[in-house]
Amino acid sequence: MALKTEEMVLNMGPQHPSTHGVLRLEVELDGELVLDVKPHIGYLHRCFEKHAEAMNYNQIVPYTDRMDYLAAMYNSFGYALAVERLLGIQVPERVEYIRVIMGELQRIASHLVAVGTYGVDIGAFTPFLFGFRDRESILTLFEMTCGARMLYNYNWVGGVSHDLHPDFVPMTREFLKYFKGSLVEFNNLLSYNKIFIERTANVGVLPLDTAVNYGVTGPNLRASGLKWDLRKNDPYSVYDRFDFEIPVGSGEKGTTGDCWDRYYVRIREMEESVKIIEQALDQLPDGDVHSAIPKRIKPVVGSIYSRVENPKGELGYFIISDGTVNPYRMKVRGPSFVNLTVMGELCKGHLVADVIAILGSIDIVLGEVDR
Amino acid sequence: MPEKKREKDLTIAEKLYIPEIVKGLGLTLKSMFRPKFTMEYPEVKFIPPASYRGRPVLVQEESGTERCVACGLCSRVCPSLAIEVQASETSLEKERYPVKFEINMLRCIFCGFCEEVCPEEAIVMSKDYELVFRDRSEAIYGKDKLMVPIRQVEDRIEFLRNFK
Ligand code: SF4
Ligand code: SF4
Repeated sequence: MALKTEEMVLNMGPQHPSTHGVLRLEVELDGELVLDVKPHIGYLHRCFEKHAEAMNYNQIVPYTDRMDYLAAMYNSFGYALAVERLLGIQVPERVEYIRVIMGELQRIASHLVAVGTYGVDIGAFTPFLFGFRDRESILTLFEMTCGARMLYNYNWVGGVSHDLHPDFVPMTREFLKYFKGSLVEFNNLLSYNKIFIERTANVGVLPLDTAVNYGVTGPNLRASGLKWDLRKNDPYSVYDRFDFEIPVGSGEKGTTGDCWDRYYVRIREMEESVKIIEQALDQLPDGDVHSAIPKRIKPVVGSIYSRVENPKGELGYFIISDGTVNPYRMKVRGPSFVNLTVMGELCKGHLVADVIAILGSIDIVLGEVDR
Repeated sequence: MPEKKREKDLTIAEKLYIPEIVKGLGLTLKSMFRPKFTMEYPEVKFIPPASYRGRPVLVQEESGTERCVACGLCSRVCPSLAIEVQASETSLEKERYPVKFEINMLRCIFCGFCEEVCPEEAIVMSKDYELVFRDRSEAIYGKDKLMVPIRQVEDRIEFLRNFK
């Protein structure tokens, strides 16, 4: 019989290296056991949604980059798509392909940070540096194209800001070739490492019904065993033209939906992204990337909800237009924000050290949780 | 409380974790002989490509005057309201010039819209990424700090002509 100890409330964060930003977790403890976890957010709130009402549709693009700053390309991709649907414009094929290539490169970059920092959380420092090394090559590709390494302002409504550099395609191919080998090395170093598996398998199991009830999306949902990916289930852009798999968790090392599954789904998604980029590079058509950019964006009265599969999950933009050059209302459904809500459920009954392992496995970015 | 299950079927060798550590160290050893991918920054400077978006600068012609005609488009398009332009008349061919042109570098988000919208290619993004100020007033760059001879931004202008 365990001795009943007095319950204690422990604040983890806001300045804690493993909270991946400024997040405060209010952890209720019974000895070493976690009874409940309440995330307190808002430290990084920048009022994006209200701010958007004061800007015209083009000016919002750089601010969408600043939500999930590890997946800036994909945020502006989703935003541009939403406004294009609102306006009813069709962008040139080349733009679609460039966006997919950039988006998938960004997915790899985002997952590399996710799995790399996850390694650090668990106590493996080398994979973190390896992840950042490979991400650096992707950032160089982005920089070559649009001039920024993190906040690109690349996907504009109706097109992209700059056409691809002539060296872009060969350099991307070279990177993908290198990256496949690098992933194998990464797997040997971390994924199948006994210590790592011990720390993550059977920890923080997220049953599928809980995941669905909480609205969890992205790799976290797929790790629980549901094949749900908007790129396949609600295809946008040109994703229906590519042949790729949706990896799901299978409980290979423990139970379906545990931390290891969530981690490993990301690794396998990177492999799939490589496939998509390779196909997109093969099919990349010629054309003008600026031809469909409207001179002035003034949608008619109406509203739109448009969603894309961001590296973290379903990223939705709900825009209401009142017929002026500024949106009347802009609402963002951020995947990190929704995924974070399941934290309390996941941590119940685990040890304090597992809270870190669980939080890392959900992969949140506070910039987008708080917006 | 749910019962916690852990993988129990470890052999003694695995329990010692020594093979795992040796495997990890092997990789470390291998990496020691690979090319370095870091840069020793303050000693070795990072030279950005022409596409790089550093701080926005005003292009200064060979004659010493700025190209800007003070149309104010850049300050209108700037999402963070960082630019202030005050126009005045001049006897030069371009007729108008900015008496005052200020960019608040604390507000600027390096989006590049000002460069994109400028009809005269008068404001471009430079390669300068080392921005330090001692106080806030120093961060408001006037014409003296913004003007950069055209020679220094030639490759950017070339890049814009090709890819914008
Ligand atoms: S920099 Fe260009 S856009 Fe701005 S005021 Fe001068 S001419 Fe107009
Ligand atoms: S780069 Fe963007 S934020 Fe900075 S001055 Fe130009 S328009 Fe404004």
